Amino acid sequence: MSAVPLRLSETIPESLASSAMLERVRAIAQGPLAAIAEAIDREGTYPADVLQQLGKAGLYRAQTRLDGTPDFVSALKGVVEVSKVCGATGFMVWCQAACTLYMERSGNPALGGDTFLRHVHGDTLGGTALSNPMKAMTGIEPMLLRAERVADGYIVNGTLPWVSNLGADHYFGAAATVHEKDGSRRDIMFMVSCRGPGIELKTCPSFAGMEGTGTWGVRFTQFKVDASNLIADRVPEFLNEIRPAFILLQVGFGLGVAQGAIDSMWAVEGQLGHVNQFLHDRPAELQAELDALTLRTHQIARMLSEGKSPSPLDVLDVRAHASELALRAAQSALLHQGARGYLLSSSVQRRVRESHFVAIVTPALKHLRREMAKQSTQEMPA
Amino acid sequence: MSATTAVVRRGAPVEPAVLEFRQYICRACGLIYDEEKGDPDSGLAPGTRFEDIPDDWECPLCGVTKSDFEPHAVVALNRTGGTRDTVNMTRCDAAGVVIVGAGTAGWTMARAIRERDADMPITLVTGCNGAVYDKPLLSVAMAKAIGLPSMVKETGNDAARRLGVRLIPETFAISITRESNTLRTTRGAIKYKQLILAHGATPRTDERLPRSLCWAINDLRCYTRFREALGKPRQPQHIAIVGAGLVGCEMANDLALAGHVVVLVDIATRPLASLATEQESDALLSAWAALPITFQGGTRIEQVTRQGKKLVIDTDIRIAINVDHVISATGLQTPSRLAESAGLDWNNGIAVAPDSLATNVKNIFALGDCISINGQAYRFIEPIAKQACVIASRITDGEPLTYAHTRPVIRVKTTSKAFTV
Repeated sequence: MSAVPLRLSETIPESLASSAMLERVRAIAQGPLAAIAEAIDREGTYPADVLQQLGKAGLYRAQTRLDGTPDFVSALKGVVEVSKVCGATGFMVWCQAACTLYMERSGNPALGGDTFLRHVHGDTLGGTALSNPMKAMTGIEPMLLRAERVADGYIVNGTLPWVSNLGADHYFGAAATVHEKDGSRRDIMFMVSCRGPGIELKTCPSFAGMEGTGTWGVRFTQFKVDASNLIADRVPEFLNEIRPAFILLQVGFGLGVAQGAIDSMWAVEGQLGHVNQFLHDRPAELQAELDALTLRTHQIARMLSEGKSPSPLDVLDVRAHASELALRAAQSALLHQGARGYLLSSSVQRRVRESHFVAIVTPALKHLRREMAKQSTQEMPA
Repeated sequence: MSATTAVVRRGAPVEPAVLEFRQYICRACGLIYDEEKGDPDSGLAPGTRFEDIPDDWECPLCGVTKSDFEPHAVVALNRTGGTRDTVNMTRCDAAGVVIVGAGTAGWTMARAIRERDADMPITLVTGCNGAVYDKPLLSVAMAKAIGLPSMVKETGNDAARRLGVRLIPETFAISITRESNTLRTTRGAIKYKQLILAHGATPRTDERLPRSLCWAINDLRCYTRFREALGKPRQPQHIAIVGAGLVGCEMANDLALAGHVVVLVDIATRPLASLATEQESDALLSAWAALPITFQGGTRIEQVTRQGKKLVIDTDIRIAINVDHVISATGLQTPSRLAESAGLDWNNGIAVAPDSLATNVKNIFALGDCISINGQAYRFIEPIAKQACVIASRITDGEPLTYAHTRPVIRVKTTSKAFTV
């Protein structure tokens, strides 16, 4: 196993098309999204328009094979641009991106074609309910959804406590454990329409922030899985294929929150620099670390675009580093801004909560470290 | 309210098992349903037994149903977790020297620094528990009847206290961020002023010798598990050792003297082929004649599989070897991930300057099994003490010492016929 070489000094060149896409994304983020960021965070406004506009701008298309080779670097940069302004929306872009991965890699024609194009264009929006299955597969917790085989598919029952980027006309990818009659068990993955029969969305308790993420509890009652919505029936193999991209796109969310925090430190430097110099984690210092991490992340993203397999430890490590850096940057931004950053309406205050979310959303910082330790331990005969 | 509850309320003399209220935990969100308290908000009176809760009842916090709850046992917490030894103290602590690895090289390095500087902060990060032991014992301990407990000379904590070292055990170094002089680990990031890599080498991987079936013994942890798997002494087991180099021959010798039946397999036609002369190999084989050792030379392993309680080794000469245990002793390789993440020069190991043992990054040094000097790795104990002194002299005040590499004397500890090459 070899680590990604990190000492590449120049950044990865951007194509004209991706530059134009990112310019459109930036305009949406800094315009309409910035105007409602606080309402999304505290009042629970779900930014449906913004998420659709981002699709029209081409953000969700970048990671797909629709234009030939996927461009994970641009997809990642887009998530960063959005997350710099609003972490909650950055997170929902990631939800949409994860759903994109499921649809594209499922190989199921019912999830391809026009259905896929509408999704990639942002006309329809989707989420991911893989937090529990991802944890279940690494032995952290049991699977919450249970499936039984019927003549033409499966029947699924159970409840997921919180699934994000949902709405009445949304959909999401989920997984359940099939309990076979002979006692054996295996997992299936499938797409769920929020308005489908057997699906009930349930209001979640209030969160500390990021209220507008369209997060609901989902109750499954005799929900039907068949050829029309099956994503994978060899789930471990499927997840092994998508896991690097799934985790890597999430890194963009952490990088963006960290960048937003650093920007707000610079915003007060002229006025408060004479006292802020006594703080540690100063903006220049954090920026250098963020730039190096961004470069490292782009290199892994480029490997993914080229169809290569990055080292799993590298993928987990950049995700963990982005969490740690977002936490430090948000905390330091609050110290740099002082009282004005303590106002409930301050973006700095919001970013502190966003950085907490970066560190606890699956795979959480603790899960990442546990998994890295597991992968670093030499296997021995039982 | 159920009858049981009524009985409890009156404090009637019923069985203690009936009296006890139980708790159930939501597997999704961790909410605890306490029978004693019930869930009045959803109509469950205090004292409602879990089995009396209707199936459509929902977790008041996250909305999953009763079937997603499981019994919750209150366990006394072991509060030794986040002690000063293991917490991440990246920002407030003065960055000192960080050493990666607590084998002979790591501990020798810590001691060499401490002998020159009483105050320099030293942090030692290791994937193991940090126990101090003599690695050469791993291939001679059984014949000497040395029990496992007495192989540990000092616990990691005791050594850390003695040397004034902050030991971070059971922690894996994942990458180095050179821009911020930070070592990233599975317990958080650690700042360093100087970083010393002493992480050694790891057994070469070979898909024909899967780790789930074969022992690749290179540290005390694996050796301990192997000894435990062997069971009590005086119960002879059949053991195949793949690789008749130094380690393979020493282990074959040790296991045979302890009464086990050993077959030693190598692609070469004589043991120690790359180290010793033909006469020396012959002398070793003659010395082994009285021992239960079979040398199976000129043989390549095709695969190892489990068949019942036995392991079967298929070879290219159509001989299948049936044994209880397989040891893979096919050599070591240096893990490259830390070096690559820091952009260290690599030449069959971490390339260090022959005189200073510095890497191409000015505040990163390396010693022991993980380095190479002019492209050559020397994985022996003897040079480590000298290397540690040179590095210590270069990161503390005083006259910098210069390393002079000499070919180490190699003692082959095949006690039946020991010799020096």
